[in-house]
Amino acid sequence: MITLQMEFKKIRRKKIGLTMCALIGIQFAWLLWATNNPSEAELLQGWLGHLQSQPLLCAIMMPTIMSVLASRLADVEHKGNTYKQLKTLRPAGTLYLAKVLCGFLFIVTMTAANFLFLLFLGYQYGYVGNPDPKAYLSAFLLQIACCLSLYLLQLDLSMLFFNQMIPMTVGLCGSMLGVILMYLKTYSFLPWGGFLSSALVRMDWNPDTRVITYYYREFSPIELFALAMIFIWIAVFYTAGRILFTRKES
Amino acid sequence: MKTSYLKAVRAEQIKLKRSPVWLAFIALPMISAFFGTFNYLLNIEILNSEWFSLWTQHSLFLCYFFMPSLIGTYCSYLWRLEHTRHNWNSFLTSPIPLSALYFGKLSQAVFMTILGNLWIFFLYYVCGRLSGLSSPFPKDAASWFLFGTIGAVTVCCVQLFFSLIIRSFAIPIGIAMAGGILGLLMTNKGLGLRYPYSLYCVGMRANNPNLELDVSALLSNSATYILIFVALSIFYLHRHEISAS
Repeated sequence: MITLQMEFKKIRRKKIGLTMCALIGIQFAWLLWATNNPSEAELLQGWLGHLQSQPLLCAIMMPTIMSVLASRLADVEHKGNTYKQLKTLRPAGTLYLAKVLCGFLFIVTMTAANFLFLLFLGYQYGYVGNPDPKAYLSAFLLQIACCLSLYLLQLDLSMLFFNQMIPMTVGLCGSMLGVILMYLKTYSFLPWGGFLSSALVRMDWNPDTRVITYYYREFSPIELFALAMIFIWIAVFYTAGRILFTRKES
Repeated sequence: MKTSYLKAVRAEQIKLKRSPVWLAFIALPMISAFFGTFNYLLNIEILNSEWFSLWTQHSLFLCYFFMPSLIGTYCSYLWRLEHTRHNWNSFLTSPIPLSALYFGKLSQAVFMTILGNLWIFFLYYVCGRLSGLSSPFPKDAASWFLFGTIGAVTVCCVQLFFSLIIRSFAIPIGIAMAGGILGLLMTNKGLGLRYPYSLYCVGMRANNPNLELDVSALLSNSATYILIFVALSIFYLHRHEISAS
């Protein structure tokens, strides 16, 4: 707890919260624009539509947002050259866990704000019925897991390299890969494909009638494995990062 | 001034030596080209405008979402060296006018952006030929390249300014990403030519190769934004006491 408090003290006046709010604000602006003036059919399927579009939006934005968050948290140590000094105060593993928890709290807050905004939009527009609590809760938890896996990957890279251009470039390339895969496949084992694998709702577009129908996805065994990969990546990146942080000296 | 400028460019080249920052400009368009071509070949029955259809697949995501962020990353890197430790002291006291130092950095950003754009078009040509497109390479591509580059230079100036005034490496990249997404919304509302981040996409005719471009508006708006942000950056360097700590 003390180490976590120390982490928050380090980022005081760094305006990380403000940066995250601004980036999430852009996501809200996009959602508002995309869902503006819904038709009768869109009102009917609005709640499902949200669950379909949300992973796509996250695939575009979240890898970069996570890169920014991780870079901000790791750069504090690079600029101050504080790795050795920190390890004289607390065990290295605890310090790494505090960095992970700090980022995790940001992720949970952002995802909660994101879903609250989706609910607000839905009720404001008057979507038919109510959101399926089980599906929305699952989507909420899966989005947190996807973001956490990306955050851990970026945190590891940001700590490993002093030159922050490398992790940022990896984040951008991964983001691009994730977005393009969205249009080609239904699942991916890559860390950036988590949003694709965890999408609970799919869309069927009829080119003749030009009508979109949303439906809950039925996961095949390989798709379930791709879903499990998100949690495997979390474990892999956390373990690798902890080892890396423990051995890091400058 | 000319000698100072050349010295500043040389200094920037030395700072960037053996730094693999150019790799990002190679890798990102390659991902876009590979998957764009793959998607084009998968949907060749619907995408029947040959080179134009292939261009939409190559450029859509790259131009709107990723190129502004990539330029932002490069610009952040150019200023990061000065923001680190006490480098502002030596930067501000070097016997070269500050404007020349700024233009040295801008030249590097523009040079890399032009190289990146050339690479995008080279990949477009190669992927088109490999996909079996036998019709001549579209002459319009020269116009896409030229006006796209002008749009990209505008983004360079905007991002260099943000990276100058913000010490953090990552925040300007977040701004670039947000700018790119807002650019998509602005273009969709027909205001693409008025917004700096969408000038690149409009110039490149991303997702709409048949777009009738208002050349005078693009040139005048780009020139205005370039002048504003260059002036702001040089003014900031002259007037603002940058903390070296």
